[in-house]
Amino acid sequence: MDITALKIRDARKMLDGREISAPELAKAYLDRIAETDGKIKSYITVTADSAMKMAEKAQKKIDSGEAGPLCGIPLAIKDNICTDGVKTTCASKMLENFVPPYNATVMEKLEKEDIVMLGKASMDEFAMGGSTQTSAFAKTVNPYDTGCVPGGSSGGSAAAVSASLCTAALGSDTGGSIRQPASFCGVTGLKPTYSRVSRYGLVAFASSLDQIGPIANCAYDCGLILNTIAGYDPHDGTVSKNPVEDYTAKIGQSVKGMKIALPREFYAEGIDDSVRKAVLAAADVYKSMGAELIDCSMPSLKYAVAAYYLISSAEASSNLSRYDGIKYGHRSKIGENFNELIANSRSEGFGEEVKRRILLGNYALSSGYYDAYYGKAMALKQKISAEYADIFEKCDVILTPTAPTVAYGVNENISDPAKMYQADICTVTVNIASLPAVSTTCGYDEKGMPIGMSVIGRKFAEADILRVADAFEQQFERRLPKIN
Amino acid sequence: MDLDMVRYLAKLSKLNYSEEELAKVAKDMTSIINIMDTIKDIDIKYDPFADNKNIYLNDLREDISAESFPTEKILANALNSENSFVVPKVVE
Repeated sequence: MDITALKIRDARKMLDGREISAPELAKAYLDRIAETDGKIKSYITVTADSAMKMAEKAQKKIDSGEAGPLCGIPLAIKDNICTDGVKTTCASKMLENFVPPYNATVMEKLEKEDIVMLGKASMDEFAMGGSTQTSAFAKTVNPYDTGCVPGGSSGGSAAAVSASLCTAALGSDTGGSIRQPASFCGVTGLKPTYSRVSRYGLVAFASSLDQIGPIANCAYDCGLILNTIAGYDPHDGTVSKNPVEDYTAKIGQSVKGMKIALPREFYAEGIDDSVRKAVLAAADVYKSMGAELIDCSMPSLKYAVAAYYLISSAEASSNLSRYDGIKYGHRSKIGENFNELIANSRSEGFGEEVKRRILLGNYALSSGYYDAYYGKAMALKQKISAEYADIFEKCDVILTPTAPTVAYGVNENISDPAKMYQADICTVTVNIASLPAVSTTCGYDEKGMPIGMSVIGRKFAEADILRVADAFEQQFERRLPKIN
Repeated sequence: MDLDMVRYLAKLSKLNYSEEELAKVAKDMTSIINIMDTIKDIDIKYDPFADNKNIYLNDLREDISAESFPTEKILANALNSENSFVVPKVVE
C-alpha cells in the first residue's frame, strides 16, 4: 500500500471501504518511520505499541459503522502537547524524563475520535526557534534536502507530514511555528484564531500568543482536524465560546469576487526574489480565478519583530520560572540550599536559546526598562491590530509570503540569534493581532525547495482562509520530496 | 549590554554563567537589544482600557469540586519521599 502524501479524506475512504484496516495503516507508517526517520529525525518518541492498540480500538469503531472523520487516522503530536503517560520533553533536557499525568484538551478530543498517535514530534526547545536545531534530542532535517533545516519550531511535525511519516500532525504557533515549517517542508499548516483551540496541556511559552493547530497535506485536512480540536474548554479561561463551525464547509466554493489584499511591506526588501515572485504569481492565479487584488500597507511591520520578541520573551521568562527542579523537570545533583539548587537545575536543564529569551524577558520587564520595552511593545500590539482592522475594511483575506527565504542550511544562521529573529518578520504580526492564517506551498525555487504563502483572515474566519488556500491547491502541481 | 547588566539579569533569572560565557552572552544580547531598540523610534502609548473589553468577568465557570490527580502520579516526576516533594533545607 502506498501511503505517500496520503490525505485524511483518502485514508478515510480506504478505511471505510475496507481496503485497509486501521492496524495495517498504522503499521505501514511505523514501518516507514523505522526505515526513514533515522535520516529525517522528526520524532523524539515513537509510540509503536500504543499506536497499534489505538488502531485496534479504532478498527472496532469502524467495524461498528460509527467512525468519524479522524477515526483510525495516524497522527504525530508535537512534543510540547501533554500526553498522559507518554513522555513530553519539549525537546529540552529540562523535561527529558517528564511524563505528564494528564492529556492536553486537544489530545482528549482527538482520542475521543479514536485517532492513532504514532509518536511525539521534535521541535525547537520550548518552541523557541525557527529551525528545530535547538532540539536537545532530535535535530530534524528537511525532507526536500537533508542538508537544510525543516523550519521551526514545529519542524518535526512538518517534516513528518512532508516525508509521509504520518497522515497529519499537531503543531503549535507562537510567532510562526506552524506556518514557517509548513512552508519550508512543502506542506499546509493552519494557525487558528487565538482562543479558538484550548491551550490546556500545551507547555506554556507565551500564553497570550500560543495556539495549537494542524499541519497536513492540504487545507481540507487542516479543516478536518480543526473541527475536532476547536471549542470551549472549562480548563482554559481564554477559550472562545463562539460555536465551532464546519471549517471544511466553504472549501470548493469559488473565490470569484473575493478581495485579496497584498500589504506592500511584506513584499519589500529583505524578501528573497524567488519567494516574492512565487507569491505574486500565486496572487495572479487568484486574479485569473476572478478574485480582486488590492494594494495596501502595514506601516508598523518594521517594528513587529521587536514587539513580538519583547512580548513573547517577557511571558516566557515568567512562564519558565516554574522550572525549579522540585516538582518536575531536571533536578541538579548539586545544590546545598534552595536558591543554589534552582539555579543549578535551570542552568543544566535549559539550552542557550531558552536562556537568552529568559534574559531578554527579564530585561524587558525589569524596573526602569518596563515602559520603554514591554509597555511600548504592548502599544504596538494595539497598533498592529488596528492596522489589520483597517486592511480588513477593504478586503476579505490578506496574502503574504510565509517566510523571507526558503529553508536554509543546517549550519547557517544558527550562531547569530539576531539574524534568526529577523527571519520571523512575515509571521509574527498574525499572532500579535490574534488572527488565523494558513500557509500552503505556492512554488519551488531553482533548487526545488518549497516556497510558502500565507492567507490571513479575520478573527474566526478559518473557513474562509481554508477555502482560499484550497482553491490554489486544487490547481497546483505539488512536487513531493525524494528522500535521499 | 555590559557584563554587569548580564550578571544582574542572570541573577534575576536564576541562571549561572561562567565569566567566559558571560562575555558571549553580553555580545549576543547586545545584538538582540539593537533589534528591540527599533521600537524607540515610534511614539505611542499603550491603552490598558482598550484591551480589557473582551474579557468576560461574569463568565467564570461554576466553583464545583472535581476529582484531583492521584498523588503518586504527580509525585512520579519528582524526587519524593513519604508522599511529598523533597526540598533542600530552607531554614537554618
